[in-house]
Amino acid sequence: MSADEVVASLRDGMTVGIGGWGSRRKPMALVRAILRSSVTDLTVVSYGGPDVGLLCAAGRVRRAVFGFVSLDSIPLDPHFRAARQRGAVEATEYDEGMLLAGLRAAAARLPFLPTRAGLGSDVLRLNPALRTVASPYADGEELVAMPAIELDVALVHLNRADRHGNAQYLGPDPYLDDVLCAAARRSYVSCERIVPTDELLRGGPPQSLLVSRMHVAGVVEAPRGAHFTSCVPDYGRDEPFQRRYAASGADPVAWQAFLDEFLAGDERSYLAAVDAFHGAAA
Amino acid sequence: MTGTDVPPTDPVPYTADEMMSVASARALADARCCFVGIGLPSTAANLARRTHAPGLVLVYESGALGAKPDRLPASIGDGILARTAVAVVSVPEVFNYWLQPGRIDVGFLGAAQLDRFANINTTVIGDYARPTVRLPGAGGAPEIAASCREVFIVLRQSARSFVRRLDFVTSVGHGGGGGDRARLGLPGAGPTLVITDLGVFRPDPQTRELTLTEVHPGVDVERVRAATGWDLKVAADLRTTPAPTDVELAALRQLARSLEAAPDPAREG
Repeated sequence: MSADEVVASLRDGMTVGIGGWGSRRKPMALVRAILRSSVTDLTVVSYGGPDVGLLCAAGRVRRAVFGFVSLDSIPLDPHFRAARQRGAVEATEYDEGMLLAGLRAAAARLPFLPTRAGLGSDVLRLNPALRTVASPYADGEELVAMPAIELDVALVHLNRADRHGNAQYLGPDPYLDDVLCAAARRSYVSCERIVPTDELLRGGPPQSLLVSRMHVAGVVEAPRGAHFTSCVPDYGRDEPFQRRYAASGADPVAWQAFLDEFLAGDERSYLAAVDAFHGAAA
Repeated sequence: MTGTDVPPTDPVPYTADEMMSVASARALADARCCFVGIGLPSTAANLARRTHAPGLVLVYESGALGAKPDRLPASIGDGILARTAVAVVSVPEVFNYWLQPGRIDVGFLGAAQLDRFANINTTVIGDYARPTVRLPGAGGAPEIAASCREVFIVLRQSARSFVRRLDFVTSVGHGGGGGDRARLGLPGAGPTLVITDLGVFRPDPQTRELTLTEVHPGVDVERVRAATGWDLKVAADLRTTPAPTDVELAALRQLARSLEAAPDPAREG
């Protein structure tokens, strides 16, 4: 299916989990398809990078659920920073471990998972709905009962997939894509290349097949679909472009110029504009 | 490197930042396994591995266990970490099987703000709902602060970073003082060492309040006091940190150059 078809299945107000980590293997082609649509009022759950920044800049996010938002080589996404500092986006702030516990609870269809993370921090003060639970065993330890973070939809990007939705990562890090897909009611995979199933198995060991077709509602072939985040070994992060993106967070004029230059058309015209950007820089 | 040179009377000039990194690296003398935050902690841990602690096992949050980068990683996702690691595990595994069970000797963290009980803030400056400065967020620091056997913190010191009251408690150090970690059920010892560009602090054995135990060469207590947002406690046997040796400085400067000479990160993870 196409990225636009995936986004056509989204509804305003949905809770969307976005895969990857920071500025790495983000399903950016799917995010760009959301920007082309009218879908808005989203709750975005993410180990956040420019996915969160772009959606915040475009005003599509009602609430961000995150443990951090970072561009890796640039510590903070300026669009997310700006949206937070003008109070434009609600925040459910966890740390990575709490977010993980919440997603694992959802993946296991459990109401919560206990964790020590968050005890004594302002995360509990800011989320008065968060409860603790006492271990029923002899230790009696008081733990945070991290509630399941149920996702309406998960969007992830992997290196390879077959048309059924078995999807493979070829880089060093799976990130949380498998957990997100398991936590979601419906998951969509974009990938660099759709290949026959037996080619997937020739491409790497069985455990590199991170996401199973059992969790996947649709597959999109999106070459350079993680751009400008990294998708090793297919390509690394486009640092010059990421700097261009970060600079567009300076003010509304800079953002509009970025939109006009790169995001006014479809994915094909985006990639052409990126090539032109590099051609001009060379 | 930034910072001010110490007085020219010293035979080998070095910056306050270099003193901070050298003191941080020395602190890892007895650790076997260090969970490394990016930035100043990563500089310290890699310097330790290049000088007195070649066997130190570096664990990065991205799942790289036993990473041996031959230059400083530019970010936590820098491909050099995974390429030089003895194992790469997923983030859930890092949290659930390494950090939370207390398998890490030292968690080495940075911070934007720190209070007298070594609680740290990496979330927001100002009001939470509409912050003056939105920071990256907690990341994995709360788990590191909770569960590593002990925690070292390195940051540049000023009245803006050493504050009476944090704008947001991201990661708990010693909470409100002695006994709080036990009350909260946090298993590790918490922060045992804070290293800045001015000196070194250790928690009081009873109250757990940070106490200045070392000043760096050329720094006097009044200067540290002026850069501290609370009424600073000073150890009776205040010592002066030994200045960086030529060997330490050479290794540190080579590391700094290695970052500048790093390949285009676009080719990295």
